[in-house]
Amino acid sequence: MLEQLLIFTRGGLILWTCRELGNALRGSPIETLIRSCLLEERSGSASYSYDAPGAAYTLKWSFHNELGLVFVAVYQRILHLLYVDDLLEMVKDEFSKIYEPTRMVYNDFDDTFQQLKKEAEDLAEKMKKSKQPVKAINANLGKKQGLGQKGGVDGGNQKKSCDDGNGDKDGNKTKSYVYENGHTNGEHVSNGEVTVASGVNGKENRSSNTGAFDKDKLQKMRGGKGGKKTNTAAVSKAPKEELKKKPRVWNDSPPVSKLDFTDPVSENGTDKVPVVAVEHGESMMDREEIISSDSDSDEEEELGKNAKIETKKKGWFSTMFNSIAGKASLDKADLEPALKALKDRLMTKNVAEEIAEKLCESVAASLEGKKLASFTRISSTVQAAMEEALVRILTPRRSIDIMRDVHAAKDQGKPYVVVFVGVNGVGKSTNLAKVAYWLLQHKVSVMMAACDTFRSGAVEQLRTHARRLQIPIFEKGYEKDPAIVAKEAVQEATRNGSDVVLVDTAGRMQDNEPLMRALSKLIYVNNPDLILFVGEALVGNDAVDQLSKFNQKLADLSPSPNPQLIDGILLTKFDTIDDKVGAALSMVYISGSPVMFVGCGQSYTDLKKLNVKSIVKTLLK
Amino acid sequence: MDFEKIETEVKIHVQKWVGEAQLLIQRKPPAQLYVAVAVVVFTMLLLILIKLFKRKTSNTIVLTGLSGSGKTILFYQLRDGSSHLGTVTSMEPNEGTFVLHSETTKKGKIKPVHIVDVPGHSRLRAKLDEFLPQAAGVVFVVDAVEFLPNCRAASEYLYEVLTAASVVKRKIPLLILCNKVDKVTAHTKDFIRKQLEKEIDKLRTSRTAVSEADVTDEYTLGTPGEAFAFSQCHNKVVIGEASGLTGEISQLEDFIRNLVKP
Repeated sequence: MLEQLLIFTRGGLILWTCRELGNALRGSPIETLIRSCLLEERSGSASYSYDAPGAAYTLKWSFHNELGLVFVAVYQRILHLLYVDDLLEMVKDEFSKIYEPTRMVYNDFDDTFQQLKKEAEDLAEKMKKSKQPVKAINANLGKKQGLGQKGGVDGGNQKKSCDDGNGDKDGNKTKSYVYENGHTNGEHVSNGEVTVASGVNGKENRSSNTGAFDKDKLQKMRGGKGGKKTNTAAVSKAPKEELKKKPRVWNDSPPVSKLDFTDPVSENGTDKVPVVAVEHGESMMDREEIISSDSDSDEEEELGKNAKIETKKKGWFSTMFNSIAGKASLDKADLEPALKALKDRLMTKNVAEEIAEKLCESVAASLEGKKLASFTRISSTVQAAMEEALVRILTPRRSIDIMRDVHAAKDQGKPYVVVFVGVNGVGKSTNLAKVAYWLLQHKVSVMMAACDTFRSGAVEQLRTHARRLQIPIFEKGYEKDPAIVAKEAVQEATRNGSDVVLVDTAGRMQDNEPLMRALSKLIYVNNPDLILFVGEALVGNDAVDQLSKFNQKLADLSPSPNPQLIDGILLTKFDTIDDKVGAALSMVYISGSPVMFVGCGQSYTDLKKLNVKSIVKTLLK
Repeated sequence: MDFEKIETEVKIHVQKWVGEAQLLIQRKPPAQLYVAVAVVVFTMLLLILIKLFKRKTSNTIVLTGLSGSGKTILFYQLRDGSSHLGTVTSMEPNEGTFVLHSETTKKGKIKPVHIVDVPGHSRLRAKLDEFLPQAAGVVFVVDAVEFLPNCRAASEYLYEVLTAASVVKRKIPLLILCNKVDKVTAHTKDFIRKQLEKEIDKLRTSRTAVSEADVTDEYTLGTPGEAFAFSQCHNKVVIGEASGLTGEISQLEDFIRNLVKP
């Protein structure tokens, strides 16, 4: 049974609600729908699920773009009502007939609605009865395809393998992918055993996905194969005691003694090397950007003018024709070519494919049924709508004023903790130093915490930065638990009165279960104020996977009921991409968190804010 | 097809007419032509002058504030005197030019007011910049019940409005309206004013720190060195109370009437 059906304008006024279904909705599903779905340009998806304490609803909606109306139906998630889509369409048609912009009260619509509801329910009943014999046959076929598909998608690295219904092929693919992955973190067994391990991995992947196999049985199988070491993307029960690092043996030379070249003198950082504090001028964060917006708009104007002159003569022909033929509103078929062109253009600018797809669907949903203004082409309407949507997505939802947060934490007497997370090699340590430089320029005392206890040279790297910037650094050397190091660093900062603590972590792949667990432990133990995901602008479709998996793992693996997720994005290596700025859009769209900094070079001053207008302009050029 | 045929026909006709017009012009004595041109130019100048003078008195009032503060309800109260069935988060601005509902019963010629309700959602902030340049007054609506949790966000938004170029240059008067005062737990307007002043004071120091490159006198609020107070603003800032749901909007209507003189 429907819980509620609402009709409201895009300006926010509720025009009609079904008075019979009087039970008040728990929580505020409509508000959440608008804020997290319709305004986030996800209006192309079919439905939205809302969870509130005590209720789980599914919401479906429909737009009438010409009149600016939104129709929303809410029902319990456990019921799978088939007639909702049809009902929404019928309600839309009926209501648009009686709608007037000046009228606010539509009580007479109640009766019409009752009729429509009965019709829709009858239709659904009929369809159910006719579907039932066909359903049983399809179910079996569907299952097999589903199994094969899932195995192909998840086996191994985050590469999106194509739909492969053939199970055997998948096994081989997973082998090769895990093989590559085996080198990344050095926590894997030596090469000889990888292939066998990945064979197990492939099986486990498929089984964990389908859930049809017994997990315990598989554990025993794994145990029986001689205690294989853990591998990527495995089932969660990874034995921890086996994660000791074995030095890599390249040939038959005798094993070398512990490879630690750290200077015993400079361990405590008190050597008297005379280094002058770095003064590179003001950080680019503080420089206002001069946007050259005129050249592009002139071009557009010219095109527009030419189009106007062209269409002026044909203007009254076409309107005459339209008024006779009656086709003045935009149809999905009309929008198709323009949207496809836009999607391709976005993809050439390095926007992830599925993001571009979803964006185009959302823009289509907002333009369908709208009347074309006179003298405008379809492509310019679509372009304008897409531009608006892009500006909306890239505009931050919450304040990105870090200075304000730092001052607020200072007033409370505790240090402001920022954690830098990300995959390997994106530039966390470099950009950490840049952020420290910027903060120092604004008279904020900074302390660095070297919680990358894994990579050789990470602590020395931070030590060098700290020496050049003349700020304290808290380090405990290598092979210590990063969560404990971070905790002690924060305590030290409270003791010596630092305002900000910048915590550097080791790079890790989003599929690496034990490392993601360690990261969520670090976050849970230290409760940082800001979790910055560092992503490089060179990344392509992987951005979607990285961010979504990071967020998901932080949410799943955290022992607390309210896990902390990624608060902001730091986009690095922005100077290496000329105009292929799409990674920014993919990351912001998939995570909903704003881009707080943009790293555009390798010196201390190369840190900028994201300029929304210029990015949108570059994307749509 | 047909269009092309008709097009070519029209072209031929137009050319004919142009030729005839040229002949006509050549026949007329030059004095008449000059007089005709002078008359046309004169009327054009007159129209332009009238337009310039007219532009000075705008009748636009902009309603802004955080999402959920009650702007759309106030808009409909001003227009129709009732809040109808309620509202949801606005996705687009609500605009209307009308005579205030409470004044429809008054006799005489009353100038209609153009009121714009700008959505408060952070992603739609850009819309405000479209309407500020033509505004005669700005109403910043604050939720008096849920004030403290949103204090920071509200003061940041208020700071942005107060330092917007059009507001500073044209000294647009601002009304800070504490909405939802019909609820028991609503804060008083003095409390809200003090809190906002405190927050904006803190914002001043952190914001000017970010863009030291081009800080001109216009964009810094108040007098540096002193604690910020709304009386230090160059434009007039007043505080009022209202309740959108019950219809208690007299202070808002007075503010509007003072700005848009009939």
